[in-house]
Amino acid sequence: MYSLRVLGAVCAFTVCVGLGSNKALAVGVAAGTDITNTAEVTYAVGATSVTTNSNAVVVRVAEILDVAVTRQSPANTAVGASSTQQEIVFTVTNAGNGPEAFRLVMDSVIGADDFDPTPASPSIYFDSDASGDLSPGDTPYTVGSNDPLLNPDTSITVLVVNDIPATAVDGNVGITRLTADARTGSGTSGMIFAGQGAGGTDAVVGMSGAIAGSTGQYQVAGVTVSAVKSQAVVDQFGGARPLPTARINYTVTVQAVGTGSAANAVFSDDIPANTTYVPGTLSLNSTPLTDIAADDAGEFSSTPGPRVRVTLGTLTQASGTQTIQFAVTIN
Amino acid sequence: MFKGNRKVLGIFALIACAFGSQAFAQTQGCIVLKSTAEIEKEVVNDKGEKSKVLVPAGKVIPGTEVVWTVTANNVCKQPSDKVTINNAVPEHMTLVPNSAFGPGSDVSYSLDGQKFAPAGQLTVQESGAARPARADEYKHIRWEFKNSLQPGASAFARFRAVLN
Repeated sequence: MYSLRVLGAVCAFTVCVGLGSNKALAVGVAAGTDITNTAEVTYAVGATSVTTNSNAVVVRVAEILDVAVTRQSPANTAVGASSTQQEIVFTVTNAGNGPEAFRLVMDSVIGADDFDPTPASPSIYFDSDASGDLSPGDTPYTVGSNDPLLNPDTSITVLVVNDIPATAVDGNVGITRLTADARTGSGTSGMIFAGQGAGGTDAVVGMSGAIAGSTGQYQVAGVTVSAVKSQAVVDQFGGARPLPTARINYTVTVQAVGTGSAANAVFSDDIPANTTYVPGTLSLNSTPLTDIAADDAGEFSSTPGPRVRVTLGTLTQASGTQTIQFAVTIN
Repeated sequence: MFKGNRKVLGIFALIACAFGSQAFAQTQGCIVLKSTAEIEKEVVNDKGEKSKVLVPAGKVIPGTEVVWTVTANNVCKQPSDKVTINNAVPEHMTLVPNSAFGPGSDVSYSLDGQKFAPAGQLTVQESGAARPARADEYKHIRWEFKNSLQPGASAFARFRAVLN
């Protein structure tokens, strides 16, 4: 009815968008929705004004098949060699516009790492109890049996679980991957699965190809925290003999060595028998600490037995040496 | 389908006019209005040259641009004056800027279906201040044809909108 020339001109003055414009849309109008248009015309015949409607044109929204997989765990998941049931957390999101089931596949034989994590059995779980880690309430996944059915723009949390080989050494990295693809089908963007979309409409492969994956990595992290204690005795005669009333100055150095981190490190030392703590002598890295609990990192307590405590927080090799000092007198 | 319908309507109009009843013609209408939805499809000819054609938009996915065309056909024997086509931007769709046109017509827009103005002359209130309305905020389009629509003649109006 209209010549190509006219159409060409229209296209030149407007933005011609195709499939490429979907990229920014996480999800659009729901698949199966009917878009209806009716135009109206008013005109005059002689002195009489008339209003008429057009036919109603209906366009049905087809289903886009799109999926996104995102790692929720940190870039590195610290593990020990020989540890078992180590999870990496992912979310699988239906980025399309219709309800869709997705198949999940995990793979731990991936290059560019130091070791291959060993898939646990089962190796994929749903985080059913929303705890963010593998726990007894989580449901194992079996391909084709309980493929997650997701509504548009909704997600499910998935745990990929591996064992760490005994041969892995400190600093080694092992990569695992989770892949999800639409059960209706995946492939080249724009591919059509006629009549297989939600509500019997067509399903069209979106920008993701209806398949997506994400990797996570384990890093074998060992950490050793060591403490070295030294003492200096000062007697009342200016010497260094351990006489009654002589003072003993203790210095303790704490150090973390390795690639891991020691969380919630606390230094605690009982005051030796037959000695008495000298109030106000506790310090961390030359900064004085009070003897009162909770006002700073240090405290002296007399129950159950006399002792000093210093909270060091998370220690890594980068934290460097922590120096704790306190003094006692010999009874 | 399209051609067939028109033929039937044309015959019907002729019968109406043959009876010479103006009242009957008015009741049934002198202008038959037809709306179509199409999408552009790229085709390659024998020489390998690419061009775009419009094909019926049966099913579309979000992000697709739909070309809506409204055709007004005068099936009476007398001209129709002051022909004005109104079309709301369909629900779930966003008007493509500068896409509305119709040969021989002045195009205006509206946010509420009440107040119409040429492109760029509508304003919206935002945070207590008026600002020019964007084309994607236009919800209604109006084509006012400058000349009478002669018997047997057609006028057409077109706009493009993207499925949200």
